[in-house]
Amino acid sequence: MIMVCTQCQELLSDYIDGTLELGEQAHIERHLSDCEPCRAMRDDLLQIVHFSHRLPEHAPSAALWARIESDLAKEQPIGFKARAAAFWLRLRERHFNLSIPQMVAAAAAFVIVISVSVIAFRRDTISTSNTLAESMHVSPGQVQPLANPDMEQLEQQINQLSETVEQKKNAWNPELRAAFERNLLYVNQSLVECRHQLSDNPSDDVSQELMLNAYREKIRLLEGFKSF
Amino acid sequence: MTATAERTQPASDLELARAAAAGDTSAFESLYAQHHRRVYSLCVRMLGHTSQAEDLTQEVFLQVYRKLGSFRGDSAFTTWLHRLTVNQVLMHFRKRGVKLEHTSEEGDFTNVVETPIQSTRRISMVDRLALEKAIAELPPGYRTVFVLHDVEGYEHEEISGLLKVSIGTSKSQLHKARMRLRELLTK
Repeated sequence: MIMVCTQCQELLSDYIDGTLELGEQAHIERHLSDCEPCRAMRDDLLQIVHFSHRLPEHAPSAALWARIESDLAKEQPIGFKARAAAFWLRLRERHFNLSIPQMVAAAAAFVIVISVSVIAFRRDTISTSNTLAESMHVSPGQVQPLANPDMEQLEQQINQLSETVEQKKNAWNPELRAAFERNLLYVNQSLVECRHQLSDNPSDDVSQELMLNAYREKIRLLEGFKSF
Repeated sequence: MTATAERTQPASDLELARAAAAGDTSAFESLYAQHHRRVYSLCVRMLGHTSQAEDLTQEVFLQVYRKLGSFRGDSAFTTWLHRLTVNQVLMHFRKRGVKLEHTSEEGDFTNVVETPIQSTRRISMVDRLALEKAIAELPPGYRTVFVLHDVEGYEHEEISGLLKVSIGTSKSQLHKARMRLRELLTK
């Protein structure tokens, strides 16, 4: 059966989208090979589809977020606002002891992270480890990091403080626990970086000093949270 | 991935959604920052103009905030957000009595007459701005199906579910939309 233009053009979208059965597809292709107007239409529709897939995103005005924020403030139940206000009030009364260790730990961790990152950039590759325990493993035959009695003493202190904090953590509110975990993560990641640096360069004074600093910061963090 | 990159890797949508559902407004702001352009673009294109698109985008994110607790992560957050946006636009159409053109599966056209085009006149080159303008000029029903299928990548099965029409109707409206766009772009 010979396909006429009306029939072909009705099926062009399905043809372009690849949803026609093989027989119909072949029928259309035979018609297209002999029909310039239908070929022109096919090519135009292909262009439209092609560019429609790639249209850029539009951006609303910057004021939209402010309006949404205002909506959200109205959405929150009255009880929540009162509870939140009471919570922050309690924190502020005790906050002089709470915020300083947190701020000190976060600031120190930030400095350590930046320092270690600068050193890391100078190296070709850095192997990664997610846990401090893994990073402490030294394979047989590998040169041990320079033994440092200061580090051993600090590690013992960290272990004792960690045990104490772990026991107290269950009684903390979620915000306090989240703040502690966040700061602990930063400090532990710094320790992992330093340990890698030291294992690659045991005699590197800078790495040793950074390691010691990282230990001290962890101790300060644990001591700060130990009192809650 | 290096430890440094791990530290700087942004939270996933699921993590942000959970935090926002728990009351973390900065997490909700992050979700907004990541997705507001896509939501707004979809509203603009389905509506055909920008004047109500911001209001609708605002409504979408308010709905997101209200319904975040029900997002379980079974689907991608973008998929969930997209569906919510489409539903909001369709509700907007219904509230305003916007009629979406329908063609029956047998091909009876309500208000569109198509004749086979014999001309060899072609679109010389598709200009994005011209395409956007042409999409905005489509009748609402054609525009809805076209935007969902060709711009946003929905399948006909999904469109038929959203619009409560048959798959055949969805395909027919898409074809009519494409043909109308071709006419508009060759003027």
